[in-house]
Amino acid sequence: MTPLLEIRDLAKTFRMSGKSGAKPGRLKAVAGVNLQIAAGETLGLVGESGCGKSTLGKLILGLTPADKGEVLYRGTDLMRLSARQLRPYRRQMQMIFQDPFSSLNPRMTVGETLAEPLIIHRLCAAIDRQKRVEELLNQVGLDAAAASRYPHEFSGGQRQRISIARALAVEPELIIADEPVSALDLSVQAQILNLMREIQQQHKLSYLFIAHDLAVVEHVSDRVAVMYLGKIVETAPADELYRQPRHPYTEALLAAIPQPDPSLAGRPAPLKGEIPSPLNPPSGCSFHPRCPYATEICHRQEPELRNLGSNRQTACHHSDRVGQNISQIP
Amino acid sequence: MYAPLKKSHKGPLLQVRGLKSYFFTRAGLVKAVDDVSFEIAAGETLALVGESGCGKSVTSLSILRLLPEPGRVVDGEIIFDDHDLLRMPPTEIRRVRGNRISMIFQEPMTSLNPVLKIGEQIAEVLRLHRGMTKVEALAQAAELLTRVGIAAAESRLRDFPHQLSGGQRQRVMIAMALACDPQLLIADEPTTALDVTIQAQIMELLASLARDRQMATLLISHDLGVVAGNADRVAVMYAGKIVEYATVEQLFKNPVHPYTRGLLACIPRLGDKGPLPTIQGQLDDKSDAADGCAFLERCPTPCSSGGSKIPQLQEISPGHSVSCWRA
Repeated sequence: MTPLLEIRDLAKTFRMSGKSGAKPGRLKAVAGVNLQIAAGETLGLVGESGCGKSTLGKLILGLTPADKGEVLYRGTDLMRLSARQLRPYRRQMQMIFQDPFSSLNPRMTVGETLAEPLIIHRLCAAIDRQKRVEELLNQVGLDAAAASRYPHEFSGGQRQRISIARALAVEPELIIADEPVSALDLSVQAQILNLMREIQQQHKLSYLFIAHDLAVVEHVSDRVAVMYLGKIVETAPADELYRQPRHPYTEALLAAIPQPDPSLAGRPAPLKGEIPSPLNPPSGCSFHPRCPYATEICHRQEPELRNLGSNRQTACHHSDRVGQNISQIP
Repeated sequence: MYAPLKKSHKGPLLQVRGLKSYFFTRAGLVKAVDDVSFEIAAGETLALVGESGCGKSVTSLSILRLLPEPGRVVDGEIIFDDHDLLRMPPTEIRRVRGNRISMIFQEPMTSLNPVLKIGEQIAEVLRLHRGMTKVEALAQAAELLTRVGIAAAESRLRDFPHQLSGGQRQRVMIAMALACDPQLLIADEPTTALDVTIQAQIMELLASLARDRQMATLLISHDLGVVAGNADRVAVMYAGKIVEYATVEQLFKNPVHPYTRGLLACIPRLGDKGPLPTIQGQLDDKSDAADGCAFLERCPTPCSSGGSKIPQLQEISPGHSVSCWRA
């Protein structure tokens, strides 16, 4: 079966002019990524700041042009389409951003914000528009009266609900959610995650869920891809990933999650050292300077992402040995 | 009503009693901190936990008398080492700030001066409070950077903040905060802007520094995982009040206040795929002062007393206080 979305060998390098004081150079933000998302599936994409996960989301939507690779939507390569040809596909893929304060137009009422995509994509007759806006608000748990109010009158969680309603307005098949809950308080985060799950079931949506919080990603995802310095280092079904990580970076990310359990206090930090600059990535495996398993081969040879049986891939020379420290994780 | 101290000391280093910090806004009175009391002993870490707007940062700014207009401390005492900070003349409080009490903030990029080299910024603290010469202060700054885990510290002194990574900037902030060997460190969301692997390193560093120098820490955080791993005692704040106050073990093993229980329940846990329990509703605007329990509308088990009377913090077992009519 053709996956809903398939990306092949997608790459993006930014040229740094050096004008802002940083050194000039080439920044490989996304360095040859392959991923698939099936219809109705949630693929989690996790990694730390600067790993390229947000750039990858923008490349898929064409918000940032890719240097090379393919973005296949139901088998059609979107990168070969003209702007006009692309428009119907744009409707199928919507995005939700991290900061609901800056992603809604402060001068438009919520009703206008939700009606705009209906007008642009000619999705409903003018006479039915108000009803459709109310329906969208109800779907995300907001009162119909919200339509006449402005974004600043809402809390962060409510604004994220409005962003979700706007994405739903065009009845998409895929939503790319870039850190949708990381700006929210804990109790609101849980409400939004539950809402995203509900609407996924109602509308048979697929999600690409981009986040840095592995506990959140693991909770919402069917499969998880872990990214480090522009590359996917591991993919696995969510429950297998945390039970048995097969890449040392995944293992370290899991061990670094602060656990709400005081008896685990005083665990040593799982990784030493900083995330290397993507302007000057290390030789061989880009994780080797921080890796507890690294040997000589890791310094000179970059590991390929290879299959480990059913639905799992890892890019590590020593994947057999990974997981020995897993006892640290409850 | 104060919890007994874990370690034996001559007395608490910091005692906050009946603190009330109000904001006199055009839209009305906002009781951001409303009758808050707690204490911290030397070497101890107290965590203030709560969601945005609960008053935890206003509490910390009140301690340092850095509350911005239209906010004002209207009542209470803040006894630090036997002196009331709220009644100290401005010249004296300046000698305490950055010297005996230091603070680190969430966002290291906005709290460092972007046009000054980091060496000068650290040295400034030492010249001001310790009267060092520039040369002495820079040498000491290099030593501090080494202590917080920055390699090649002497050459780093000449870097500007933008040349450092987020984790390194937070290390620089910590070095500045520790320059004068403070007795109390106020850490307001010290790792929230950092990646999880770097966060673990920074918390480890703060813990070892607190241990080595018997420094007391007021840790302000919304992350219950960070709190569980680093605090001795925890005060949970909701709508300007402390609703539960306990040792870290008591709080996580036996949370009593429905808000605390709700917060702990809605953390996504590895391996658990079901819908997350939530706390219904959201924190209300506090400008219209209510007479009853502030949590009443969101409470899963609301009681009749909550509507008319404000519950007070009551000790339910040694060292564990809760403000709930059902406790």
